[in-house]
Amino acid sequence: MRLALEDAGLSLKDFNGQGLGVTIPTAYPQPFWPEEVAEILGITPGFLLGGATGGAGSVSLLGGMAAAINSGLIDVALCIGAAAPFSENFGGGIQPGDMRDWEIPYGTMGPNSKIAMVMRRHMHEYGTTLDHLGKIAVAGRYHASLNPAAYLRKPITIEDYKNSRLVADPVRLLDCVLPANGGKAYILASPERAKKLRKRPVYLKGFGERSNPSYGARAGSDALIMGVKDAGKVAMEMAGVKHSDIHFLELYDDYIIVVYLQIEDLGFCGKGDLDYFERTDFTFKGQLPIQTGGGMINCGQPSTAGGTLHILEAVRQLRGEGGDRQVPNAKIGLVSGLGVLPYGKNLGCCAVAVLGNEA
Amino acid sequence: MAELDIRKPLPGITTEAKPFWDAAAQQKLVMQRCQDCRAWVWTPRPSCFECGSEHIDWTPMSGKGEVYSFTVIRQVVGRAASKAFEPDIPYVIAWVDLEEGPRMITNVIGCRVEDVKLGMKVSVVFEQQSPEIWLPKFKPLF
Repeated sequence: MRLALEDAGLSLKDFNGQGLGVTIPTAYPQPFWPEEVAEILGITPGFLLGGATGGAGSVSLLGGMAAAINSGLIDVALCIGAAAPFSENFGGGIQPGDMRDWEIPYGTMGPNSKIAMVMRRHMHEYGTTLDHLGKIAVAGRYHASLNPAAYLRKPITIEDYKNSRLVADPVRLLDCVLPANGGKAYILASPERAKKLRKRPVYLKGFGERSNPSYGARAGSDALIMGVKDAGKVAMEMAGVKHSDIHFLELYDDYIIVVYLQIEDLGFCGKGDLDYFERTDFTFKGQLPIQTGGGMINCGQPSTAGGTLHILEAVRQLRGEGGDRQVPNAKIGLVSGLGVLPYGKNLGCCAVAVLGNEA
Repeated sequence: MAELDIRKPLPGITTEAKPFWDAAAQQKLVMQRCQDCRAWVWTPRPSCFECGSEHIDWTPMSGKGEVYSFTVIRQVVGRAASKAFEPDIPYVIAWVDLEEGPRMITNVIGCRVEDVKLGMKVSVVFEQQSPEIWLPKFKPLF
């Protein structure tokens, strides 16, 4: 947060009567957390918003705060995603009813179990192999090797991915995100206010959100389609951009298969288009750069606050601050946030934002 | 009949779900079906999640379905109560699509974990977990 304030040339006092957005972490599940953050910081917000869409919370806050700013309610907001699951973990608190009554009694082991079923189904329906999926893992780690702030920086090969140990068959260790303590912050302002801040602003050009999406009957929907399909369409239409206008993607990455599905569902290729994954270079120098800082898988996921990472990386790229991993001429980037695994379905909260470096 | 194992976390018998557990104790699988739009409604709730109608009736199911996908649990993680599943390792967590449409999270039992396949036909069996709870699980239909 101090870094965000320095970046903008603002102080905490500038947020009295203004916006404060705070993601709600599953590791510390108490409903008054946004107010507690205001108290810890010693500010008196005029608009206090919780990012309550699980892992999508950080991207949802972008949309919610932008709406508050566009309505004239506030003209600047501090958005924070912070959690310390290794030191302040209260075991996830009370589970959602479906999970308590219809999943846990069967011995499900958290999100790994459900994502494993999604991954296996995709491999079954489309013939997706570990080579297709591993390409995502290798590209992300390559970017992490160029990011001084990443945790996991040793480059990996497809073979390393394929040989990593099975965690929840077919999910392997290198499919999974790295849990971590951590905190991140960014500042959102009206265009007029942003122009007076220290650095050149990045613009929120489009936003879309879909919670509890269902593709097919609600009691048995297609678990391989994610709500980013519709959230992405809304965000891209609002921004007035086509796929070819988007220079890079920062996709919520709790698992490799989840990144893979989003590339399909955002419409960069058709469902099950294996050839696309075979021919596309996903590195920062390639046709579709993704996870340009290594993503949460390599930089760590502080509970549901983790998604803020992707917003910060997109801002860096659009400002040309990507260092050794800078996407050439990056002008438009797409960021996603995902959260919650509802019963019998894919991820339940999906938020997409299109950012650009021109108004 | 399975061994009685009270250490595992049990489902809550909510008002909405009580008819389900009452039927399960009689070895019957039932689900709610909307009498207006005919949609299947699963898991239990007070109204139809397709059309909002409150005319949803408990309806007998064939108890047959197929494996939509599955995973094998080889290690317990997370909350303390997960430990109760340790003696069952390795075991299968599956999404089973019932003939009528609804998808259940369940266990596939009665075969080796290596023999479980996507699209495999299965039918329901009930395992007693407590005096009130008979948990529907699925075994292969040979």
